[in-house]
Amino acid sequence: MKGMVFVELLQMAEELLGEDVVDDVLDRCDLSTGGAYNAVGNYPCSELMTLVQAFSSHVGTPVPELQRRFGHWMHARFVKSYPGFFTDKPDALSMFESIEDEVHVEVRKLYPDVELPRFETERIADQALRLTYRSSRPLSDFCHGLVEACLDHYGQPAQVARRDLSGGGESVAEFTVRLGG
Amino acid sequence: MTDPAPPRPDPAPTVSRARYDRERRARQEAESLLEAKSRELYVVNQRLMRQAEALEQAVRDRTADLEAARAQAEAASAAKSVFLASMSHEIRTPLNGVLGMAAALGDTPLSVAQRDMLAVIIDSGDMLLSVLNDILDLSKIEAGRFELEDVPFDLAEAVRSVERMHALKAEEKGLDFGVQVRGAGWVRGDPNRLRQVLGNLVSNAIKFTERGLVRVLADLSPPDAAGGVLLRLVVADTGQGIGDDRMAQLFTPYAQGGPAVARQYGGTGLGLSIARQFCRMMGGDLTAESRPGFGSTFTATVRLAVAEAPPLAQPGAVERDFAERLRRQPLSILAAEDNGTNQLVLKGLLRRFDLRVDIVPNGRVAVEAWHRDRPDLILMDVQMPLMNGIEATQAIRRAEAEARRPRTPIIALSANAMRHQIEEYLAVGMDGNVTKPIRRAELIEAIVAVLPRPAPAARACDRPDAVCTPRAG
Repeated sequence: MKGMVFVELLQMAEELLGEDVVDDVLDRCDLSTGGAYNAVGNYPCSELMTLVQAFSSHVGTPVPELQRRFGHWMHARFVKSYPGFFTDKPDALSMFESIEDEVHVEVRKLYPDVELPRFETERIADQALRLTYRSSRPLSDFCHGLVEACLDHYGQPAQVARRDLSGGGESVAEFTVRLGG
Repeated sequence: MTDPAPPRPDPAPTVSRARYDRERRARQEAESLLEAKSRELYVVNQRLMRQAEALEQAVRDRTADLEAARAQAEAASAAKSVFLASMSHEIRTPLNGVLGMAAALGDTPLSVAQRDMLAVIIDSGDMLLSVLNDILDLSKIEAGRFELEDVPFDLAEAVRSVERMHALKAEEKGLDFGVQVRGAGWVRGDPNRLRQVLGNLVSNAIKFTERGLVRVLADLSPPDAAGGVLLRLVVADTGQGIGDDRMAQLFTPYAQGGPAVARQYGGTGLGLSIARQFCRMMGGDLTAESRPGFGSTFTATVRLAVAEAPPLAQPGAVERDFAERLRRQPLSILAAEDNGTNQLVLKGLLRRFDLRVDIVPNGRVAVEAWHRDRPDLILMDVQMPLMNGIEATQAIRRAEAEARRPRTPIIALSANAMRHQIEEYLAVGMDGNVTKPIRRAELIEAIVAVLPRPAPAARACDRPDAVCTPRAG
C-alpha cells in the first residue's frame, strides 16, 4: 500500500489526538516499519489495518466509523493536492465516472507498481448512478467516506444507499447515489 | 472535517526521540527510494538514447541504400536512352543507305524479276524502318521527349491513305474491308501520328481476322466555339477477339497477346501501347471492346482543330516543275556528308536531274568549297567529323555578312531530328531541313522551297526567303 495513505492517516490522528498520543499508539503496535512512513514508500496493508484498529480502541470509535472519517480527510487532501480533477467535473456523479479512466490513469503514471481498487459506474437515471467498489483490501468504509466527501464537495444534496456484496476474499460495496432531496 | 495541518500553537515544541528516529528513518527510506528511481531513470534514459541513435542510423542507412538504388536505376535508364538513341542512329544510317540505293536502283533499267526483288527489298526496308520508329517513339514517349506536329492536313486523305495501304492485304485474305468518313475536312494536328494510330488498328484487325469483315469509321464532330473538333476512329472486325485475361495486358508495351501471338503473327508488341499514348497526347484515348470468337472494336479519339484547305497541288508536279526549271536555269549543289553510303544515296536521288552535285566529307571542306565554287545551294549533314554542319553554317553566314555576299540557301540533312533541334538549325542560319532516310520528293520540295523563285526578277533577290514578286515585262 502506498505510503501516502499511512502518512495521511497519522496526520489525521495527530490533528485529532495530538503527537504524543500518536507516538504512544505507534510504540504500542507491532510494526515492521517501526511506525516510520513516507509518502513515496510502499508498506504492508496489514499495518494500516493495525493502526486503524489501534486508534479505534484508543478513542473508542468503531473501526468503520474511523475509516469513514479517514475517507473524508483523504478527500480534502485530494482536493487540495489535485484540484484539476475537480474543476472540470460538473457534479459528483461525473467525478465518480472519471475515477477509473482518468484519475487512476494519472496515478499509474506516478506509481507504475500501484495496486488500485476498481470503481465501476452505471448511470441508472439522469441524476442517479450506481458505483461499485472492488478491492482486495477491506476498505469499503473508507470508500464510503470518500463518496460522502465528494458529494459534500459539490454541495449537492444526495441520498446514498450502500449494499455489501463482499465475498471470496474481495471487498465489494455497491453505492447507489441519487442527487436531489 | 478539520482542515489538515493548521499552525501549531507552541513556538518551540519538543520532539520525542522515538518521533525523531521515525522521521529520520522515513526520510532515509525516501532518499534511497529516490536514488533507486534516479538510477532506474538514468538506465532507461540511456537505453532510449541508444535506441534513438540506432533508429537514426537505420534511417540514414536505409536512405543511403535507396539513394544508391535510385542513382543506379537512373543511370541504367539513362544508359538505355543513350543506347536506344545511338542504336537508332547506327541502324538508320545503313538503312538509309539500303532504302536510298534501292530507290536509285529503281531508276535503272531492270528486268521484271529484278523489279519484283527490288520491291521486296523496299517493302522489307520500310517494315524495318517502321519497327525502328516504334522503338524510338516509345523510348521518346517514356522519356517525355515526344513532340507532336501541328500542321494542316486533309483528314479524309489521311484516312484514305491508310485504307490504300491495307486494302490489298485485306483483299488477299478475302475480307470485306470498308472505310467510311463522316464530316471530314481540313484539320490541324499531327497527320503522321494519326495515320500511325489508324494504321496500327487496321493492320491488327486484318491480321487477326480470318473471315468476315473489317470496318473503319472516321467520324469528325462539328467544331465547337473555339474551332476544336473531336475525331472518333472506330475499327471493328469479326476476328478471333480478345479474352479478358489478355485484354488487361493489351496496351502494355512488349506484351502482345502472349508469346504464341508473337510467333504466329510477328510484331514488336509496341503498336497498341504507342497508339494509346499518341491518342492521349492528342487529348483523347484508345479503348477496346471484344467478345472472344465474335470480334473486337477499337475506338480511338483525338482532339483536332479545323483548318483552311490550302490551294491544290498536283502529286509529282513538284519534281516535274523542278526538272523544267533546271532546263531554263542551271543549278549547282554542294553537299556535305561524311558517310559514304549516304553520299551515294544523295547522288542516286539527284541523278535523274540535270544539275551539278559536289560532295565533301565534312564541314571544314564544305566551307572551303563554298568560298571557292560559289554553289547555288548547300545540303548540310549535321553530324560530321572535324567541323559539324552547325559550325559550318555559322562560319558561312559570318563570311557572307563580312563580304556582303548574297545568302546561300542551306538545307540540313538530319537523322531523326526533333522539333527543337530543327528550330536550332534554323536559328543558326539554315533554311530548311530534310530528315533521313531521305525521300526524293521531300528533298526536291525542300530545295524548291529555299531557292529564289524562277522568274527573271529573282536574280535581284539576295535572300531566298525574301518576298520576290515577278515583274511584268
